Amino acid sequence: MASESFTMPAHRYVGRPVKRVEDPRLLTGKARFVDDLTLPGMVHASFVRSPHAHARIVEIDTADALALDGVLAVYTGEDLKHLRPMVSDGLPREELIAPPRMPLPSDKVRFVGEAVAVVVATSPYLAEDGRDLVDVTWDPLPVVVDPRQALQPDAPLLHESFGTNNCAHIADSAGDPERAFAEADHIVTKHFSHGRSTGAPIGLRGVVAEFEAQGGGQLTVYPSSQIPHSLRREIASTLGLPEGRVTVRVPDVGGAFGLTVTIFPEDVIIPELARLLGRPVKWIEDRWENLATSVHSKGMESTMEIAVDADGTFRAFRAHLITDAGAYSSLYSTPLCDSITAATMLPSVYAVDDVAYTIDNPLTNKCHIGAIRGVGWEPGQLLRETAIDEVARTLGMDPVELRIRNMIGPEPRRAAFGQTYDGGSYVESLERARDEIGYDAFRERQRTLREEGRFVGIGFSPFVEPTGWASKSGHANGQPVNFFDSASVTMEPDGSVTVTTGLHSHGQGHETTFAQVAADELGVDFGMVRVHYGDTDSAVFGMGTHSSRGAVIGTGSIVAAAGEVRGRLIALAADMLEASPDDVELRDGQAMIKGVASKALPIAKVAEFAYFGGEARTEAVTQRGLTATRTYDPLETYANGAAAAIVEVDVETGAITLERIVAVEDCGVVLNPMIVKGQVAGAVAMGIGIALLEDLVYEDNGAFVSGSLLHYLYPTTAEVPMLDLHSIQTPSAVSVGGVKGVGEAGTISTPAAIVNAIADALSPFGVSIDRAPVTPMYIRDVLRAAAERDPA
Amino acid sequence: MAIEKREGPTVVHLQVNGEAHTAVAEPRLLLSDFLRQTLGLTGTHVGCEQGVCGACTVMVDGSPVRSCLTFAVQVAGSSVETVEGLAVDGKLAPIQEAFRTEHGLQCGFCTPGFLISANAFLDEHPEPSVEEIREHMSGNVCRCTGYQGIVAAVRKAAELRREVTDGV
Repeated sequence: MASESFTMPAHRYVGRPVKRVEDPRLLTGKARFVDDLTLPGMVHASFVRSPHAHARIVEIDTADALALDGVLAVYTGEDLKHLRPMVSDGLPREELIAPPRMPLPSDKVRFVGEAVAVVVATSPYLAEDGRDLVDVTWDPLPVVVDPRQALQPDAPLLHESFGTNNCAHIADSAGDPERAFAEADHIVTKHFSHGRSTGAPIGLRGVVAEFEAQGGGQLTVYPSSQIPHSLRREIASTLGLPEGRVTVRVPDVGGAFGLTVTIFPEDVIIPELARLLGRPVKWIEDRWENLATSVHSKGMESTMEIAVDADGTFRAFRAHLITDAGAYSSLYSTPLCDSITAATMLPSVYAVDDVAYTIDNPLTNKCHIGAIRGVGWEPGQLLRETAIDEVARTLGMDPVELRIRNMIGPEPRRAAFGQTYDGGSYVESLERARDEIGYDAFRERQRTLREEGRFVGIGFSPFVEPTGWASKSGHANGQPVNFFDSASVTMEPDGSVTVTTGLHSHGQGHETTFAQVAADELGVDFGMVRVHYGDTDSAVFGMGTHSSRGAVIGTGSIVAAAGEVRGRLIALAADMLEASPDDVELRDGQAMIKGVASKALPIAKVAEFAYFGGEARTEAVTQRGLTATRTYDPLETYANGAAAAIVEVDVETGAITLERIVAVEDCGVVLNPMIVKGQVAGAVAMGIGIALLEDLVYEDNGAFVSGSLLHYLYPTTAEVPMLDLHSIQTPSAVSVGGVKGVGEAGTISTPAAIVNAIADALSPFGVSIDRAPVTPMYIRDVLRAAAERDPA
Repeated sequence: MAIEKREGPTVVHLQVNGEAHTAVAEPRLLLSDFLRQTLGLTGTHVGCEQGVCGACTVMVDGSPVRSCLTFAVQVAGSSVETVEGLAVDGKLAPIQEAFRTEHGLQCGFCTPGFLISANAFLDEHPEPSVEEIREHMSGNVCRCTGYQGIVAAVRKAAELRREVTDGV
């Protein structure tokens, strides 16, 4: 099972902290985000949204809105009934039901914030004025917000025609877990209730669209998206246009974190309004809309059992995971993006081959669950790693030693559910984290401080995560989707290089890292390479950037395409130098005979000859020029690492202080260490938020109460300590260049380290931490309950 | 300042990045929208419209201000500085150079607000400690970086600014 073999030339740029190409425009205010776009004749949209969690739409009175000066039109679900329903049917699993979603519903709403009408006016202010004048008569329906309750037979149904709220009930097992549970010395059970969090990028989501009706019609859409080509597919099919008549042109995007992997009603409604009105239309969400109506993530009620022998050997894992799906199955990721990811990665870095899981995905009257950084791998990690600390406490064993005793070796390995890990520093990462955080000295300090009435704790969280997400990793991880990703590389006549990719960059720095890869492959100066993406008219097809896939897919496809161009250049240069192609290399902007510096030609001369050299050129160049397009659908790659945290808990107030975080990251061969460090740090910060702060809260009646950044708290410089980041590089055994992905690691690993540290700090009180975020109020609740149980 | 009652669009004269501008503003028009839409200075970003995220921070008469919580008519006669005014003749200002060197930005959306806030902070605290940086910069939020590069960049900018000053 070898990957296609590529010889990568000596690295001049890969592996170095090359400064980012993107930065100058972003630092000077010259970047162009979607809200910065203005088109001639453009008008503005604002959505009328439901204040009810579940209600029939009785009547929508638009008369007052339409009477307002500046309001051009109001559209309701009845007006947009001709659009095709948006159905999340992209994940071919027979267990999955996919409730259709009309872009604007005309029968009922299913969560607070669901749009029922859209007002178009000459300014954004007037559009909002008009929105406030639309009068909707509602008939409220019974609400279900608790996912366990939603699974009960008498629960209100979100989508009546399905007869159930459960989007998918899936059970699977590997090995013989029943037997292992029957034989093991102990069974340790852990329940965990995981809050809802989201990406909440600072850049608000938006869509600008224009439609040119002449010549068969051409729709151009400027969205904030991380999946331009996939979004084009959905817009074209919902509007009934050929994909070739739709251009998606994504401007700079102010962060995504998976949020725009989901395709939203606004993504198709705004283009449709542009078509109906014959004018460009713009919509920019506000922060409430972002928090209430875009995507939520990771809400999960779960139980895990570990069968363990008295000597600490893990015999089997078993889990029941209930993902609180929200009101719809999100398009395309479905609630399985959380539940099945958590389930199939349950064994993680442990040598446990007897594993069973059950997942349920009940619909509730809340915003839908979609793929956000770390997806279900994070709540799964939190569940498993807190359960393992419970095992350590039960057996009186050291949590680090217990883990190492049960961990897999560094070589490639087939995991219980059939994934093929490509090798990693599983034990080494944990040992590194343990040593860097000063574990032995910490225990002594912990004892001393406890005597002073101060409670510090330490927690560990080793992980492995799928990266380079594509067909094979999808199939191996319970999401049997096929991918198509490509890159094109063109050497221009002057020797400069244009790379296009179907990946997308919204903070990851692809304009830099991919230029590093291409420059090395072609032996040209970094500054000669431009990387272009985001425009479906001019960049080749791909499935966008998400699931820590950019580095793997980008490197693989660009190396392949650039390698082809390199081969043609070398053949041409060999003719020009009267040498054998085997003796020619491209380096430092020169085509030269290896070891003979005097026998060299500028690559630009070779390129110029390739375009304009007439009859004397090689056949490969006369037929295909200096452009090559190659696809790449890699074998499975898995990054790994470990997080360790030290916290102090004030038992009087419940306040938690993060004292230290160590994160060890092994993402294989590093393209740019500065960018990798930035990805890890950002992901860790998001993990801190998940562990301690971020919660999208609904009241029992389905009212949404986390609709501003005053309520939905992210970490600031005051909450994120200086991070202690370390790198180990275990090249992937299978990917081009040995590269693995890095985007999600810190988010997956950090919360479990923090929650374990909190539980460790509070171990003298005999309490169990079984929810996140861990807030001061929750700490006080569990401590109070413990004191009531044991008044001594 | 006496409060003057006005109705309807008002003519606002002001300086932005050293240039005089005259434009009409409705009383309810936010300064952020005035800068972005009326003057076309889209470098100032809006992330929450509630004064929490800090992305829209600009300088008004030498003090950092949330432009999403300020009406355009309130700054009539004032001098406003935005991110577009930081680089001079195409040369990045020390704070911009430091953010680039220390990888203090990823998607770059929050960055203009951070640059303005950091400059204002460094004006008052030319030799800040890391603790002071963390405390003062906590009024701006960034979702990408985890702040490691931002804190390092503010430190670095303090050095660069001192070099510039010392060099004069």
